[in-house]
Amino acid sequence: MNIRLNIIIPVIVVALVLMNSFYVVQEQHQVIVTQFGKPVGDPVLTPGLNIKIPFIQKVHRFEKRFLEWDGDPNQLPTRDKRFIWVDTYARWRISDPLLYFQRLQNERGAQTRLDDILDGEIRNAIAKYDVVEVVRTSNRQAQRAENEIEDEVILVDIVSGREVIRQEVLRNAQTRTGDLGIEILDMEIKRINYVAEVQRKVYERMIAERQRIADRFRSEGQGQAFRIRGEKDRELLRIRSEAYRKAQEIKGTADAEATDIYAAAYNRSPDTQSFYEFLKTMESYKLIMDEESSLVMSTNTDIYRFLKGSDQR
Amino acid sequence: MSEDQDYGGQGGGPQIPDIKLPQLKGGMVRIIVLAVVALIVVTTSFYTIDPEETGMVLRFGEYVRATDPGLHFKIPFGVEKVIKVPIQRQLKEEFGFRTLRAGVNSQYTTKGYSGESNMLTGDLNAAVVEWVVQFRIVDPYKYLFQVRNVNETFRDMSEAIMRKVVGDRTVNEVLTVGRAEVALQVQNDLQDLCNQYETGIKVEQVVLQDVNPPDPVKPSFNAVNEAQQEKEKLINQAQSEYNREIPKAQGAALQTIQEAEGYSMDRVNRAEGDASLFNSIYKSYRKAPDVTRKRIYLETMTEILPRMKGKIVVDDELQGVLPLLNLNAPAAKGGK
Repeated sequence: MNIRLNIIIPVIVVALVLMNSFYVVQEQHQVIVTQFGKPVGDPVLTPGLNIKIPFIQKVHRFEKRFLEWDGDPNQLPTRDKRFIWVDTYARWRISDPLLYFQRLQNERGAQTRLDDILDGEIRNAIAKYDVVEVVRTSNRQAQRAENEIEDEVILVDIVSGREVIRQEVLRNAQTRTGDLGIEILDMEIKRINYVAEVQRKVYERMIAERQRIADRFRSEGQGQAFRIRGEKDRELLRIRSEAYRKAQEIKGTADAEATDIYAAAYNRSPDTQSFYEFLKTMESYKLIMDEESSLVMSTNTDIYRFLKGSDQR
Repeated sequence: MSEDQDYGGQGGGPQIPDIKLPQLKGGMVRIIVLAVVALIVVTTSFYTIDPEETGMVLRFGEYVRATDPGLHFKIPFGVEKVIKVPIQRQLKEEFGFRTLRAGVNSQYTTKGYSGESNMLTGDLNAAVVEWVVQFRIVDPYKYLFQVRNVNETFRDMSEAIMRKVVGDRTVNEVLTVGRAEVALQVQNDLQDLCNQYETGIKVEQVVLQDVNPPDPVKPSFNAVNEAQQEKEKLINQAQSEYNREIPKAQGAALQTIQEAEGYSMDRVNRAEGDASLFNSIYKSYRKAPDVTRKRIYLETMTEILPRMKGKIVVDDELQGVLPLLNLNAPAAKGGK
């Protein structure tokens, strides 16, 4: 029993000392070694196995990676007195672990300080600009659909824009974090939305806008339909009148030609004239004398003169 | 906030099996200890990497090598550790909705995710945009060791970029013509931001899913669509009337003209016929004018006189007969 303990206890002690003499720096970590609370040497940035004085020196690990900061959504007023929800996020990292350790102790402390700094800067920035400046980035021209109505698009031009505001917040926040051992890498506005009350009004406006557009479409449709009908009526009149004109022209030409032909035949000499008159008259008799007609004729006429005798001359 | 830093100890050094005070006989103890050690060596020495993965091997926390799919050896007792990263797999993040059950008939839910999808457009209107980002991990080292909570960061970045892009467009663009452009722009900007953050992520594709006006406004957007349809309908109706009547009128016009041409030919032909008839008769007439004239006269009389019911022949030398005749009703008498 005693022999066993004599072996086991030293082994355990040696193991504990050995275990406390080594420490591992992970790839994503940086380490500060302190001796009775006082930092020893430079922060260890390279990963791997390291040696320290057991039990006397303590190892403090800090993240080396980019860390997240997620702001709570805040209801903020813009310069044009509109309340919007602004939700932001930021990336930051521990740039000076020693300073960070001294000033902020741990990440909870860092997050709290970042809340103060970033929320404040964002509030300041939003209050300085109109809502449209926060929404838009550039004065890009809108692309229109084919059937889109000209005044449908209401794009207000901006002076600064989202990117400028973002840079401004970032710059101001960065100057305030320099002595904390942290560095803010960037800040982005994740979400912007109207507060419920404003949102309702926006919806109402959108609805009114849509109604206006719908009315416009309808009236355009009616207008175009009228135009097409008008064109149709005009075309109809044109086609019909042109046809009439052409027909009359053709007929006129034909009549003239016919008249010329008749004249050429009948008007050759006084003799043809009188013969034509005679022939035509005879023909007319055939047509105009019907059974209803009565005729009183003298025996002096060519047809009846022989009634009075065969020797009439 | 998760406390990722652990102070002091742990160290990740070799874990020496804790030897309890043995109650068994010495020989048995030795065998059991050896067996346990051997088991630990074997289980911590070998690892497999799946086809879509790469193995990132860390020795005492330090990255030493990457291994391809297959069975591999590493230094046991936790000296070397492996983190598997699925670099070949296409990963995706959904915004504004989640797939509940993927399959032929995938089920989705949007409930509770409206915060992700509600956004403002450049004309200060609201839109609800749902989208998917497909991405791949191309640099596992950066993916693991540059950014903490990469996925969370990546989601934040996607949301920020989408809002930036949508914020520069009108609601109409986002809903209709600009969809493809929005997706492309987000993809490019997101990739830039990923590079800037050194996330080791390659954005493969940004796909816009449902893009809608907010629910309370939807009916009025539909009303616009309806009005547009109505406009088309009215125009089409008028156009079809036009198309129905104009060709008909054109045909009728052609008919009128053809008829006129027919009249024309008729008239001329008749004139020519009449003329040539006259000329022929006249030619014969010239040979014996008196007789011909008389013949025609008598023929005509012969033809017309029988037709007439009332015929009175008066001797030119007798006077006074004429007043006695009732000329008003010659037909009624029926007499000859």
